[in-house]
Amino acid sequence: MNEPAIDLQAVYKSFRRTEVLRGVTLRVERGKTFAFIGRNASGKTTTIRMLLGLLKRDDGSIRVLGLDPAREPLELRRRVGYLAEDQTMYGWMQVGEILRFVAPFYSTWDHDLALKYVRDFELPIATKIKHLSKGQNVRLGLVLALAHRPELVILDDPALGLDPIMRKQFNRDLITHLQGEGRTVFYSSHLLYEVEPVADEVAILDEGRIVRQADTESLRRDVKQVILSREAFDAVRGQLCVLDERSDGERMVVAIERAESAIERLGREGVEHRVVNLNLDEIFEAYVVGRRDGEMAEAKTQAELQPS
Amino acid sequence: MFLRIEKGSAVPISRQIADQIATLCASGLLRPGERLPSVRELARELAVNQNTILRVYERLVGEGLLEMRHGQGTFVAARAKRGQLAVHRERLVDELRQIARQAVGLGLTSDELHELLAEAHDGVEQPLSATSNEEHTS
Repeated sequence: MNEPAIDLQAVYKSFRRTEVLRGVTLRVERGKTFAFIGRNASGKTTTIRMLLGLLKRDDGSIRVLGLDPAREPLELRRRVGYLAEDQTMYGWMQVGEILRFVAPFYSTWDHDLALKYVRDFELPIATKIKHLSKGQNVRLGLVLALAHRPELVILDDPALGLDPIMRKQFNRDLITHLQGEGRTVFYSSHLLYEVEPVADEVAILDEGRIVRQADTESLRRDVKQVILSREAFDAVRGQLCVLDERSDGERMVVAIERAESAIERLGREGVEHRVVNLNLDEIFEAYVVGRRDGEMAEAKTQAELQPS
Repeated sequence: MFLRIEKGSAVPISRQIADQIATLCASGLLRPGERLPSVRELARELAVNQNTILRVYERLVGEGLLEMRHGQGTFVAARAKRGQLAVHRERLVDELRQIARQAVGLGLTSDELHELLAEAHDGVEQPLSATSNEEHTS
């Protein structure tokens, strides 16, 4: 079982002339809860649809549970639980009816387990789907994705449209029913601070590329903000892995990768500086909207300052 | 055991949990020999990854604050090491240094800062030791 649950190597995908994925490489170990983070339209759903064999890649390789989704989509979908983004189900069916409707599609469907989830999730079995709340809809989607005991669960932005209370409840469901049972979970989100408590690892997708994959604590240790004088920055710039730099005249505010060794070096060389810990949203921002070109950063700040 | 997780904080979640458990022990709200929730229970309660909770427990065991008894669970160590206090103190001194820096930035004098600190200290109720005393006597 050393083979990863998901393994993508240099995957490319274009729709007509628009290149959506530009060499996505990522690896999800079995048993991990993995969060796939990106802004809207960064390619998350495209990647997920490829994992399930619902879309064909242009180039690169994809293995999911050791299978190529493009070649064996049916076998794969039997072993994977999937919750689509904004999953629409037949509104006229009752909760109990959709369970019986979906069951025959899976040879491993466990109806007792489905009914247990329905009870755990406090879903009304005789209510029509169109009368369920948004939160109940997500939970019903989870029941359908889990009742065939899949090894891998793929959830496309399950927290979308949930209020904070329901999001916390959803996180609890994830921890109790998925992590607790040792399943691999791959889920996408655009809210980093929401996935931090839950995920073992995150990958940040930006403009069709993975800009960073790491566990959340390493990420926090590795990316920090340093404040120093422009003069000092110009002298050490070449030695820093800069994600984002901004200036307010004399001072530079810089987000850097490999912070631990960089800060040690600044200390050793006697460069006066201050270190600020970043939260995950700020780290995410540094990766996806970071400016490495000082002039552009200034131009942007000035543009922002201009009254419109 | 009441813990509060602040999402989106610059302090990592594992650190938030570890610090709060250490504070509960230091204040006597968690007493030596007291059993902590299981990893599973606490993960569910806080909606936090089980591995994170496990790592926190293991780290606090390593620091001598907690102990794991095989098959029984995790407990506050019978004699939590005094060294634990030193770690706490260091963190506090760190935070005070930051506050002092801010105070200088605001142009406060040392006396003014001392006065504010004294006021804040007076404003802190002391229910922690009081409740634990009550629990002792009842």
